[in-house]
Amino acid sequence: MLKINGITKNYDEKKAVDNLYLHIQPGEIYGFIGHNGAGKTTTLKSIAGILKFDSGEILIDGMSIVDSPIECKKIMAYIPDNPDLYDFMTGIKYLNFVADIFGISSEDRSQRIRKYADTFGLTADLAQPIATYSHGMKQKLAIISAWIHEPKLIIMDEPFVGLDPKAAHELKLMMREVCDGGGAIFFSTHVLEVAEKLCDKVAIIKDGVLVRSGTMEEVKGDDSLEEVFLDLEAE
Amino acid sequence: MVKTLIKKQLMEVFKGYFYDSKKNKKRSSGGIIAYFILFGVLMIGVLGGMFGALAVSLCGPLSDAGMGWLYFIIMGSLSIVLGAFGGVFNSYSGLYLGKDNDLLLSMPIPVRYIMASRLINVYILGAMYSIVAILPAEIVYWVVVGPTISNMVCGIILIFVITLIVMVLSCILGWGVAKISLKLKRKSFAVVVSSIAFIGIYYFFYFKASALIRDLIANAGVYGDKVKAGAYWLFFLGKAGEGDWLSALICLAFALAVFAITWYVIAKTFLSMVTTSGKSARTEYREKSVKEKSAFRAVLGKELSRFLSSSTYMLNSGLGIVFVVVSGVLLLFKGEVFFSTINSAFEQMPGAASILIAAALCLLACMNNISAPSVSLEGKNIWILQSLPVRPATVLRAKAVLHLLLSGVPMVFAVICIMIVLPETVIVRLMLLAFVLVFICFSVMFASFLGIKLPNLSWTSEVVPLKQGGAAMFSIFGGWVIVAAFAGLYLLIGYKIGPSIYLAISTLVFAAAAIILRRVLYTKGAQAFAEL
Repeated sequence: MLKINGITKNYDEKKAVDNLYLHIQPGEIYGFIGHNGAGKTTTLKSIAGILKFDSGEILIDGMSIVDSPIECKKIMAYIPDNPDLYDFMTGIKYLNFVADIFGISSEDRSQRIRKYADTFGLTADLAQPIATYSHGMKQKLAIISAWIHEPKLIIMDEPFVGLDPKAAHELKLMMREVCDGGGAIFFSTHVLEVAEKLCDKVAIIKDGVLVRSGTMEEVKGDDSLEEVFLDLEAE
Repeated sequence: MVKTLIKKQLMEVFKGYFYDSKKNKKRSSGGIIAYFILFGVLMIGVLGGMFGALAVSLCGPLSDAGMGWLYFIIMGSLSIVLGAFGGVFNSYSGLYLGKDNDLLLSMPIPVRYIMASRLINVYILGAMYSIVAILPAEIVYWVVVGPTISNMVCGIILIFVITLIVMVLSCILGWGVAKISLKLKRKSFAVVVSSIAFIGIYYFFYFKASALIRDLIANAGVYGDKVKAGAYWLFFLGKAGEGDWLSALICLAFALAVFAITWYVIAKTFLSMVTTSGKSARTEYREKSVKEKSAFRAVLGKELSRFLSSSTYMLNSGLGIVFVVVSGVLLLFKGEVFFSTINSAFEQMPGAASILIAAALCLLACMNNISAPSVSLEGKNIWILQSLPVRPATVLRAKAVLHLLLSGVPMVFAVICIMIVLPETVIVRLMLLAFVLVFICFSVMFASFLGIKLPNLSWTSEVVPLKQGGAAMFSIFGGWVIVAAFAGLYLLIGYKIGPSIYLAISTLVFAAAAIILRRVLYTKGAQAFAEL
């Protein structure tokens, strides 16, 4: 579903991501862990096609994000770490805007908006301007907009930040549902307990370099993910 | 503590002079000096010069008639109006909507200290506007009547009193504006309509100014008696300007007392104001069937919503729409006189009226630069369009088409009005229509091109891309230079070939330029958008 073949991204003199290789199969929830400034967001933005990388290749369902960006984006969704949405729109206007871009029929969008807005308890607020939303409500709206076209691959940067416990639980169920349906999810998180319980595979990045990746058992063995992560950070 | 708060407040007010937010670093000393000089030239040179000229015309006759106090009442009132209107739209946000409210309230700082520092902010903003009217008035008075210790010291007291009154009025009016705006559904439209009305009133008085001044000087005695009978306290204000110590002290005591009351009330009500949200009608969501749109139409709709949601955007980038429509209607009724005046003034250059009216319409069209700040206005939202499966060229096309529609439709109306009254052949009239429409296409492409060439996504206030952005400024002033060249060239040599051929050639030139810019916009520009 997602193949990252040796991508490198430099910011002036600094190597933000250095020759990164990752392969994410359909059905996998893949966690991406690293300290602040390790290169997680740079990697995720590169996959989403909103950041140009210097070398390497990113393939989504066999298509290059550089050569076929529109085709790749049609089957993918991206949620950034800070959901800066259009404050001048209402929630429902924003969802319809995204649905229009993806060419979702009015029946399908109505049914999906109803389903996910009810799941997150956001239905009553959909007519309100986004400017009046809290951080958590914006995050919920961003998640609904990402799910609205039933993407095969979902890229998320710290998706649980700002969500209440119920919404976080619902999101985990939704993530599993996507993967059970043959999709894949690649997301970054600082909450190691969540990664440990939720992810099928995990990758740890340090100073732009992939230091460990694989199934949860391969990465952590008998230790906790926190212990492994802290050991790697100390090296 | 108060000193530290005031220092922080002053740093915020003058941040733009010391800090380049685009480059995210401190300005060079040369840059700081240049900014202050530019500000000084604009405020003192332009505005101050305007009020200085008014003061010169009033001071001599009124002080000769022994009514110097009436002169100070007039100039003082102008100064108060200017200062209060200048600060009214910023005072409420300056006092209550500081982003550091929570931070400051969580610290052991008395609320009255916080409010004192915030009031300084309002005071400076109001003073900057009011001083440009009252200071030239004082200087003119000292030159005309002759400086004495009493009229100089009392004059300075008067300036201080006026700036204090302005601050108090700004607080009251700002509070009122904020309360009213909370109740308005279409706030941005209300601001646009009131601003246009304000501009209309301003120009009405501007054009009537000389008649009003003549009337005032001729009937100074009558007006003076009316002031003394109806508003005796104003008389003290005027006498203070003349150098009357008692009046100056009474005015000072009054202003200080009003200031103290304002400070007390604001400090007392601050907590309740910042912790209570205004009552806003909550719209209940009801599921409705929606019509599917293409990606292009979806982005176009989004751009229109963005434009209509912001009064700052509408006023800075779309004011020309109103001017174009008003010009069309005015010329429909007054066109005959207007065109015959121009034709007689340019008797040697046949067809000059057609070219000059085309140039005037193009100047107004350049004021609509909707697509120029549009890319920058994406700001932190840029990730949305970049991550969605929509081609960058489609995004840029939607931005350009919105500009074209909002600028072009009113222009067609205006040109049709003009075509009815323009004393020219049918061919010239049709060429005028063709030229103006092609020029609008060019100006849209020019503004869109500048928008993608000079983007600024790192702003914290939309005023930055709308007012101070390179794209917004160059699209207007660059457009005006091009229009001036078009009109100037006709008056120099173009008239020899006549208006229809000149308009035809110009149409072809601008059409070619628009096509080239369009091509660059949708290829290199689209690539640049994807990489922002």
